[in-house]
Amino acid sequence: MTQHDSPRDALILGGNRIPFARSGGPYAGISNQDLLTAALDGLVARFGLQGEKLGEIAGGAVLKLAGDLNLTRESALGTPLDPRTPTIDMSKACATSLETVIHVSNRIRLGQIDSGIACGVDSASDSPIEVTPRLRRILHRAFAAKTTGQRLKAFSAIRPADLAPVPPRNGEPRTGLSMGEHQALTTAEWGVTRQEQDELALASHQNLAAAFDAGFFDDLVTGYRGLSRDQNLRADSTLEKLGSLKPVFGVKSPQVAEPSMTAGNSTPLSDGASSVLMGSAEWAAERGLRPLARVVDARSAAVDYVHGDEGLLMAPAYAVPELLDANHLSLQDLDFYEIHEAFASTVLSTLKAWESEEFCRERLGRDGVLGSIDRAKLNVAGSSLAAGHPFAATGGRLVATLAKLLHERAEETGRVQRGLISVCAAAGQGTVVLLESVSD
Amino acid sequence: MQSSSPQNAPERMPERMKDLTDVPSFPAVYAAALDPRGGRTRGEPVLPSTAYRVSSVRIDAERARDFDHLMGGPATDLVHPGVLHVLAFPVSLALMARRDFPFPLLGLVHLRNQILQHRPVRVGELVDVECRVRDLRPHRKGRTFEAVSTILGEDGEIIATDVSTYLTRGGAASPTLSASPALSASAEQSPASERAARDTSSADGGRAGRRAFEAPTPTGRWSLPADAGRRYAAVSGDVNPIHMSALSAKAFGFPRAIAHGMYTASRAFTEARVDLSRPLRWDVSFDAPVSLPGTVLVAFEDDKDAGTVTCIGWRAGRGDQSPRQCFTVEVTTLGG
Repeated sequence: MTQHDSPRDALILGGNRIPFARSGGPYAGISNQDLLTAALDGLVARFGLQGEKLGEIAGGAVLKLAGDLNLTRESALGTPLDPRTPTIDMSKACATSLETVIHVSNRIRLGQIDSGIACGVDSASDSPIEVTPRLRRILHRAFAAKTTGQRLKAFSAIRPADLAPVPPRNGEPRTGLSMGEHQALTTAEWGVTRQEQDELALASHQNLAAAFDAGFFDDLVTGYRGLSRDQNLRADSTLEKLGSLKPVFGVKSPQVAEPSMTAGNSTPLSDGASSVLMGSAEWAAERGLRPLARVVDARSAAVDYVHGDEGLLMAPAYAVPELLDANHLSLQDLDFYEIHEAFASTVLSTLKAWESEEFCRERLGRDGVLGSIDRAKLNVAGSSLAAGHPFAATGGRLVATLAKLLHERAEETGRVQRGLISVCAAAGQGTVVLLESVSD
Repeated sequence: MQSSSPQNAPERMPERMKDLTDVPSFPAVYAAALDPRGGRTRGEPVLPSTAYRVSSVRIDAERARDFDHLMGGPATDLVHPGVLHVLAFPVSLALMARRDFPFPLLGLVHLRNQILQHRPVRVGELVDVECRVRDLRPHRKGRTFEAVSTILGEDGEIIATDVSTYLTRGGAASPTLSASPALSASAEQSPASERAARDTSSADGGRAGRRAFEAPTPTGRWSLPADAGRRYAAVSGDVNPIHMSALSAKAFGFPRAIAHGMYTASRAFTEARVDLSRPLRWDVSFDAPVSLPGTVLVAFEDDKDAGTVTCIGWRAGRGDQSPRQCFTVEVTTLGG
């Protein structure tokens, strides 16, 4: 199907993640390195990779301590993998581990490596807390001082306000709005209703719960610290319960007439880690591993959200058509859609944009709409609203889930299955990936 | 249940199992150890035939996490065997603090430790802990015996066995508790332990014998802060005063605080990067104590064919002082 003259395929061989936890939950006091090591340990155990020297491990975290500069390397060294396996740390906000998948895929396709792991982790419970920039500069001056007098002079500049700890910024530095507040503007612009958002959130919980019940995650998730399912999952959620929650985003924005984004239709701050095992066909065959899917192609896009030209989380709406065009596919040619649920309304705004004549003509420069998708093919095993969203871990969760879905469906139907992953990211960015089933 | 271990003391009584309701607290055990023991008979000392058992002890996830973090490792669901050691240690200490135990608890020197772990243990798991003392042997510096802790699963299967070999110094046949605080000291190492350890290894036909220690090329350097003992006490519960501060160590005859031997051993275990899902053996022998604050040079060596990682720790020589070996740690992955 693919139009690329790739020398060889980069195959998704499987994945492993730990259950995602709510911030301050069972993974409180647990570090990014702990979480990532746990995810990698489970992958190693599942695929018998003890002592194995892989081509590369690409990983990353969004909320990252300064001391964690080699987070992926340090985590890998804590596993039974061959310590001579090289690693790289990458970062692209919520698209981090989707980008690590693309990175490993490209390396495999180019023949630079034969195998690799793409992974990501985040802990909102253990996010870095820094000192104020003023205190940092005073301390540097004091450390550089040659004499005690100079040092005392530097220290004497410290004011009580300088000592306040600085937690991670909750929002876009250029607009001062949080991500939720940004999305609230987009939600209002596209007229996404509260009802639609709550329905999408409910479907996410129901689909994730059904997938756990069916054992779908048995070979994708390894328990950690007493959790065996995602902590945020509410199998018994109802529209009534979701409807009773108060809006939290958009309440301070005059352009949002009816705020509709609640804690129920927005993702919670989460802790978790995910990993994806990838390899060439030869490497997989040598180890008797059964490929699930191949990485066909990927695109990324960015939008100018700063002065309101486009919504902060709308970049995937641009990246997806580019990806489809490059692969001569229509939006409706896909069998599964994994659209990251940063907020229910992010998914819904994106779908509405693709259904909009105006958006598709004026923004995408197309002749007509991309059109609607069959909602029964959307996030069929649940997504971030139910699972939670440890930023850099979400891409890995999506890739492993979709690869397994594609493989299973291809086995059932005997037909090649294609699936799309779309992830929006902070600062107006987005990354999208096309996967295709591999079956025997 | 395992019956009483083989004994070399012919007068050994049949084992009496005493169930404790909970793991004893260290301060209480140490306080009991200071209690002068009356009514001890002269003649050949005999180890008590009592065994202690604590049932259904939960492996606490937070404690295991703090232990892992202190050792510089990730918080794993499969617990570091050092966690099993600190779980059982107060139970065996309580056994050794009994009035019918023939040696002063605070004068014991921890010479060796071996943990054999048959299967991984998960955080949150419930285990039974059984502790015994056995195998009293003559030693040229006194006597040695073993404190054996057995960790059992809920189904009664043995998960791990932890054997600590202690030396009780001097007084070949009349081990009386000295009133001198200098002797009321160590449950682990003491300034004399290096000599004792050498003696032991030569008695065992050991590697080093009396030859001077030849330091290998170091692969790492551990800078242990003054509070290293307090930090290990926080995760292990072992508040033996010789580890806690220079002042409290002085009260027991040590010029400075010394690191817990099982801290250095546990840290070496973590850095050995062992696959915790496999059965393993963890052998430790202690030589010279590590003073706090202090610097220890370490040399790791992997023998992939044997499945063994060895770590030697020593303090560097200075001036005309030659380097002194502090510990040897060997971790072997067993079975297929």
